[in-house]
Amino acid sequence: MSIHVNIEKKFKGFSLKVKFDTESASTGILGASGSGKSMTLRCIAGIETPDRGEILVNGKTLFDSEKKINLRPQERHVGYLFQNYALFPTMTVYENISCGFRGEKKLRDEKVRDFISRYHLEGLEKRVPSQLSGGQQQRVALARMMIGEPEVILLDEPFSALDGFLKDVLQRDMQDFLQEYQGDMLMVTHSRDEAFRFCRELMLLKEGKTLTFGKTRDLFEQPGLVEAARLTGCKNFSRIEKLGSRYLFALDWGISLRTEKEIPEEASYVAIRGHWIQGRDTDGENCIPFQPAEYVENTFEHQYLVQTPGMDKDTVLWWMRPRNSFRETEERLLPEYLYLPPEHLMLLK
Amino acid sequence: MKKKLAVIALAGIMTTGLTAGNVQAAEPGGELYVFIAASLANSMEEIQKDFNQKYPDVEIFYNADSSGTLQTQIEEGSRCDIFFSAATKQMDALVEEKLAKEDSVVDLLENKVVLIKLKDAETKVTGFENITEAENLALAGEDVPVGQYAREIFTNLGIMDQVEKMEINEGKNVTEVLAAITQGSNEVGVVYATDAASVADQVDIIAEAPAEALETPVLYPVGLTEDQEASSAEQEAAEVFLEYLQTEEAMKVFEEYGFSPYTEEKEEAAAEENTEEEAAE
Amino acid sequence: MSEFIQEINWSPLWISLKTGAVATTITFFLGIWCARKIMKMKPVSRAVLDGILTMPLVLPPTVAGFFLLIIFSLRRPFGKFLLENFDFKIVQTWKGCVVAAAVIAFPLMYRNARAAFEQVDVNLIHAGQTLGMSDRKIFWKVIMPTAAPGIASGTVLAFARAIGEYGATSMLAGNILGKTRTVSVAIAAETAAGNYDVAGFWVVVIVALSFVIVALINIVSGRGMKSRRWI
Repeated sequence: MSIHVNIEKKFKGFSLKVKFDTESASTGILGASGSGKSMTLRCIAGIETPDRGEILVNGKTLFDSEKKINLRPQERHVGYLFQNYALFPTMTVYENISCGFRGEKKLRDEKVRDFISRYHLEGLEKRVPSQLSGGQQQRVALARMMIGEPEVILLDEPFSALDGFLKDVLQRDMQDFLQEYQGDMLMVTHSRDEAFRFCRELMLLKEGKTLTFGKTRDLFEQPGLVEAARLTGCKNFSRIEKLGSRYLFALDWGISLRTEKEIPEEASYVAIRGHWIQGRDTDGENCIPFQPAEYVENTFEHQYLVQTPGMDKDTVLWWMRPRNSFRETEERLLPEYLYLPPEHLMLLK
Repeated sequence: MKKKLAVIALAGIMTTGLTAGNVQAAEPGGELYVFIAASLANSMEEIQKDFNQKYPDVEIFYNADSSGTLQTQIEEGSRCDIFFSAATKQMDALVEEKLAKEDSVVDLLENKVVLIKLKDAETKVTGFENITEAENLALAGEDVPVGQYAREIFTNLGIMDQVEKMEINEGKNVTEVLAAITQGSNEVGVVYATDAASVADQVDIIAEAPAEALETPVLYPVGLTEDQEASSAEQEAAEVFLEYLQTEEAMKVFEEYGFSPYTEEKEEAAAEENTEEEAAE
Repeated sequence: MSEFIQEINWSPLWISLKTGAVATTITFFLGIWCARKIMKMKPVSRAVLDGILTMPLVLPPTVAGFFLLIIFSLRRPFGKFLLENFDFKIVQTWKGCVVAAAVIAFPLMYRNARAAFEQVDVNLIHAGQTLGMSDRKIFWKVIMPTAAPGIASGTVLAFARAIGEYGATSMLAGNILGKTRTVSVAIAAETAAGNYDVAGFWVVVIVALSFVIVALINIVSGRGMKSRRWI
């Protein structure tokens, strides 16, 4: 169960250079919009062709520029879930799902009906996509994709076009679906929450180039690169001066910090996630006096932008703290100091 | 005895040969393709009916269009047995290209160029000479024969410059000029006598072109064209039809529609008049 | 006028119908085929070819007819070739009517087909491919139904243009009653001869004919979209 990708492609004024090998069955590609994630997916599916490189799925070569192999999409047995589902608008639900069926004609009707019931679409067979709700459309798209028994499924930003409540429902449906699915899954997203929730392995993509690849949890904990940390949502960065094997001076924050891990040679930055900073009333190691310069009232958390004299003029520290109720104001329980726990300090290059 | 038999046999063969030849030569039939200028369409249709009374076995196919288009079509190999043009230019060209048989060409009809106005409408114009008194004028373009003739008239009358200063509605073809008059868009217009005749209830002829002003004869030549596909019966038919067009019967039909027979004598008479006048001066 | 009605020769109507039907059918398939092929070409060659295919729309029909006459002329190689090898004579025949009408109507069908195809969501095609559908199946079951309204409108326009065409037709096929005189050519010829009432009669005929056909096409395409089954 693996996907091997190593491709290059020039397009739209920038060049794509992606390389990764998956081991687990669920992998994600996380990157900003326009970073080339969808293009990568399309290359794997065969609807776009890389300039150079190779793509293998479970040992089978789908594309190899050296050996001049380039399988047509029809031959790749790769399922693709489009962002807007791409259901055929003039066909009914039954007909749409039938299109995905591969096999003997006489078995088709039986299998289509089986999938219709499996995906809870009974009673909707004769409707056309415009007559379906968002959730029903997603199920039709999934059924259509799965009936062909693909070895790998590619999900292209499956939730980015959705809002609030529908998103939650569909994400749950997706989770159930993925739990049942035995094959490989590759999902592309710009939401780190989705990446974290659905993918066991993750590749970070920035401007068409693979930044880093690894197990999702490890990546979030220790991104290794500043850009990777940024992509995974970290906002607090500072250049460092190494003082000891576990001691550094954060230049932009104006304090010295003790780290839990040994500081690697190449590390030139320290970072900490705003959610892991803690409020304290007493001073101590890894503490900064709390002086909020700005406050942002989010729906479910307080957000403080902190600036202390020791800090560089333009630098701020972001601190996120969960709220207890809508009525709780910013002044409640303000600490004297902010504590940066050593175990949460990320050392980056 | 043998000699007698031989003579009888020979006589028999010769007679059969003669009569067979005669039978072939005397029966025109088959398909006849006649290319005619558009202005001849109505008159030729009537003539066809009359002709078919006498020769029901001849199927005549007309192709009516502007003389220039017909000329091009013939040049490009269209099947044509007789060409009836609205001007000598096209016929001369085909003769030179050996597509029309020079000996068969007859200058059959003459058309007159006339000045017309809407029936019962008021105008100060009494003839070509004082056409400039009209508010506006409908005229065919320079590439149309009747347009060329009109301009020749004005030039010879010495009034071309003034006419050009008038408000001129230039028509792509004679139909447009006619329509401009019958619909009241223009006060006066220059067309053929045959065109005026076709809408006789809607227009008045103010005047015919003065004889001296139009030197180019407005004549309609007709002649046989080369047709590789024609059978001998069809060739015969072509010659018979061409002759028929020159009969009095046919000419009556033409005159009904406003044409006049073209006679060389008239030309010579006009030429004589001219020389007499010159001599008198 | 009444004697005209009694003696009426309906051949222009049949010729127009035949010509319209055949020319529209040819343009329909040719226009769609060209639209598909041209969408797969590179930008520069695509632009050049597009210009060439649109030309009959820009040229005055008489000029287009003149070019066609030259191409199919029996005195020139191509016309001779057709005649000798296939016994195919285009000039002065009903086939010429069809060729002239098809050439003049072609750009309308082609442009409409192309526009219709271009507004088909490309993801639909990609979806079909990943699902394993053959290119032919994708074309007929995904692309065509979605493009149907545009195609139908192109067909209507092409038919109307083919039936109404007379400049190129009279140049290439001539104006021969019973063989190549279509209703449109008849109208032009009768107008030129001053027979306005006859011309008017044919105008009524062609308007009625066009109305019926256009209505039929609309009904067929509208119905086709909703209830046609693909399995």
